[in-house]
Amino acid sequence: MMQTTILAVALGLMAVVALVFCRVFSFVNAETGTANTGSRRSKFFWGLLVLGVLVTAGSLRQWPHAIATGAGVVQVNATGAQWSWEIDTRKIPVGKKVVFNLHTEDVNHGFGVIDQSGQLLFQTQAMPGYINKVAYVFDEPGQHRVLCMEFCGVGHHDMTDTFDVVAD
Amino acid sequence: MSEARIEPHSGAVKFTMLIAGAVFTLMMILGLLMRAAQGSLIELDPALFYQILSAHGAGMVGTAGLSGAAIMWYFVGRYVALSAKMYWAFICLFLLGVVFILASIFIGGYGGAWTFLFPLPAMSGGAWEPWAGALFILGYTSIGVGFLLYYLAIGYPIIKRYGGLGRAMAWHVAFGGADPEDAPPPTIIAAAVVTVFNTLGIVVGATVLVASLVNLLFPGFVVDALLAKNMIFFFGHVFINASIYMAVIAVYEIIPEYTGRPWKTTRIFALAWTSILLFVMAVYPHHLMQDMVMPGWMLVMGQVVSYLSGLPLLVVTAFSLCVYLVGSKMRWDLASALLVLAIAGWSIGSVPAIIDGMIVVNKVMHNTQWVPGHFHIYLLLGEVAMSFGFMAWLVQGREVAREGMSNLDKLAFGAYVLGGFGFTVMFLISGAMSIPRRWAVHLPEWILQDQIATAFGAVVVLSVVVFVLKYVGGLRR
Repeated sequence: MMQTTILAVALGLMAVVALVFCRVFSFVNAETGTANTGSRRSKFFWGLLVLGVLVTAGSLRQWPHAIATGAGVVQVNATGAQWSWEIDTRKIPVGKKVVFNLHTEDVNHGFGVIDQSGQLLFQTQAMPGYINKVAYVFDEPGQHRVLCMEFCGVGHHDMTDTFDVVAD
Repeated sequence: MSEARIEPHSGAVKFTMLIAGAVFTLMMILGLLMRAAQGSLIELDPALFYQILSAHGAGMVGTAGLSGAAIMWYFVGRYVALSAKMYWAFICLFLLGVVFILASIFIGGYGGAWTFLFPLPAMSGGAWEPWAGALFILGYTSIGVGFLLYYLAIGYPIIKRYGGLGRAMAWHVAFGGADPEDAPPPTIIAAAVVTVFNTLGIVVGATVLVASLVNLLFPGFVVDALLAKNMIFFFGHVFINASIYMAVIAVYEIIPEYTGRPWKTTRIFALAWTSILLFVMAVYPHHLMQDMVMPGWMLVMGQVVSYLSGLPLLVVTAFSLCVYLVGSKMRWDLASALLVLAIAGWSIGSVPAIIDGMIVVNKVMHNTQWVPGHFHIYLLLGEVAMSFGFMAWLVQGREVAREGMSNLDKLAFGAYVLGGFGFTVMFLISGAMSIPRRWAVHLPEWILQDQIATAFGAVVVLSVVVFVLKYVGGLRR
């Protein structure tokens, strides 16, 4: 759902930019009056700046990478290695805060979790020498797929796995 | 400041653009093969697919840099005397690097992608030998040294002629209240800014390349993976942006020949290019938004600067182009159409790029096909369109738009626009469907999009073949 919204917004805004250019093309070779381009440019700049401030504030109001802490948080350790995953918890409870701790034994990998409809729910990178943490609360039970989201060599596309989200 | 026009090095530049046109076409065919393989229309062994992926990425980025450099050399040569020997040294080092890279991929089997993410070149899982990884890195190093020579050859005469880099970037106009009439022309401002940020980018890239090379030769020498990733993405982001910012000079110089309205340096123009200098270097953390160990402030900076980077493009370059076009006596031919398309394509492509630069979006779009979606828009319909527009202009001499567009030009241009947007929008749709990028083998439910994209890609390749053949025909005349 989120991806569909993102696609619709992007295509809509791209169409607006394209239409502006098409509109300009229709005025090439046309007789035009003296337009106050400085004022228009200034309004355009300030309009985009205000929009940017609003979107930035709205999208960062809650830190997207916030990590849940405290009792009751389910910790899952996952380790990538060319070209498979080692996941220490294969049954993950629905509706509970889960923190995935990502490790790698060799190169960079990407840990992307796909729901049953094929939509990417979240992802994080697995990087040599570091542990990346990502938090998520699963709403729906069912089998979820793990795809490698960072190019890691000739078996990259084979680096998939699954885990189950189960009702308590 | 009045400028005496010096005859540029047109022979060397025409030769460079011939190479660029041929390699762009070849790399597009490799891209088409990959999309066809993902769509199960042809069979490619995964090892070969990833070798082609590496060749396509390195080849396209390198050729974008090469064509941008040729365009900038040509037009800077109108204002300052440039050394032909230095240009040929750059071309020789570039071609030497290409030979190394092709040998590493197609003889050594290197398939670690153009981003050579540490420590992948040294840890292939048995797919290629360390020497192949080392040869790939040496190839990049040779190209990097060539570019440093190039920027030295461009930067030194600019500094000498305009009294320092600050004045060449028109800081006296942007911040000192000087009259814009005393500012350098737009070409010099752009060249000075790109010289500064791409020199820094290449130096950082060279540092991580040498570190990776030492790691390949002496595996006991380990580099911090997070530091290496930061340096690689800084270098990669700066380099590919430099190619666009060099090529846009073709728009500044050629479009006025059609509109009869010179592209002037104004205070806003000078401020925009200074902001580009800062934004191009500060924005790279948007490539590392899924590395949660990155400092939070850097990720926020990546998001904010991603958005701000769109402002000089939309508010200054695109807006000014529209102002120059409206009411002008512009005549359309292949060159002018491609150059105007390039600014439109670049502007349109900035939308999905900025959206992906938001952390909350990046969480579900990073490394999906959304990413090649947005960068193919502003490269294929931006930088590459600028290059083909420049090529079309280069061989038509001073007979600007006298003949207009032939039916073949109209057909090829229309096919390029239709194929280009169809091809790239299919990437965006695939990204929204969570299809990962850089996968040799696709799941059955992803194949239809791949097949449609392949059809659009074939249309692009056909149109580009026409552009290149017309260029060759123009050279022969």
